Amino acid sequence: MMQAQEIMTKDVVTISGSATIAEAVKLMKDKGLRALIVERRSDSDPYGIVTETDIVYKVAAFGHDPKKMRVYEIMTKPCVIINPDLGVEYVARLFANTRIRRAPVVKGKLLGVISISDILNKSDFVEKPKSEFELYCEENPSALEARIYD
Amino acid sequence: MLSARDIMTTDVVTISGSATIAEAVKIMKDAGLRALIVDRRSDSDPYGIVTETDIVYKVAAFGHDPKKMRVYEIMTKPCVVVNPDLGVEYVARLFANARIRRAPVIEGKLLGIISISDILKKSDFVEKPKQLYIEDRLDVAREEARAICAEKGATSPECAAAWDVVEELQAAAADKRQEKKTVNSLEAYCAENPDAEEYRIYDD
Repeated sequence: MMQAQEIMTKDVVTISGSATIAEAVKLMKDKGLRALIVERRSDSDPYGIVTETDIVYKVAAFGHDPKKMRVYEIMTKPCVIINPDLGVEYVARLFANTRIRRAPVVKGKLLGVISISDILNKSDFVEKPKSEFELYCEENPSALEARIYD
Repeated sequence: MLSARDIMTTDVVTISGSATIAEAVKIMKDAGLRALIVDRRSDSDPYGIVTETDIVYKVAAFGHDPKKMRVYEIMTKPCVVVNPDLGVEYVARLFANARIRRAPVIEGKLLGIISISDILKKSDFVEKPKQLYIEDRLDVAREEARAICAEKGATSPECAAAWDVVEELQAAAADKRQEKKTVNSLEAYCAENPDAEEYRIYDD
């Protein structure tokens, strides 16, 4: 099974929670990104994320001035994070259950971001779709159910 | 105000509802798209949309075989459509209320597709944030100011502060009206013919 770390985008940009929305938009436009990871203030602080959806839904839709609003007012923190070893099918399932579209990949430190687009464009779910049963057998190769009789 | 037409993506690809998910994924990958519009079967049939989110949430997440599932099983149809003349701020509000991220732009026929990314990257909401319903807010502020002044007295600081709010809103509303000023025929002519004699500007 492909893992999150194989299809994630390693090109991550972080931003401070106290930055203005206008700064965040500029950074997203310049780098062609749809989300920024919000820097942690300390090692015990959780990761946060601010996406283009947050900006459009919470700032543009109300005509608020992006120069006067700050990232911390609209970010999602703590956000769902993904372990780099998690299988792509499980990432898709987690995204569907939590209704999210992207999440930082973290193990000790920030390694990348994985999104719906990464799953669609880089994973092998079309060529090798895996059923619940196949996933179970792959995880538990010694289970009785996984025995294959030719 | 910029309208949907100004920032939409005109590069739209349609797909049949009976195509397989595998075909849809291939088209999306090849064309670098995040959504496809589902063809109408007749002129009275509504438009549909299938997005990468639909595919990941409803197919990949369950390990279903994309070669055996069809677009009509996961598409959103009818989908929300946007009029090309709708202001970008209203598109953002509509998207937020409907919890959607993209929609086809339609007037008679399919003109394009507008997404959250188009709003973020191409609209001027950072440079010129526009408050919707400013006239409505002005009415409310005026009523509130009158009530406060009646209660606290016409010379009270609360009364003065309340009317300051009204004044600020009036200024903002006036700014907005100013932006809508139409160009007169001479200005239009000069803009089209910058070399014309009439266009010469004399300093002092």
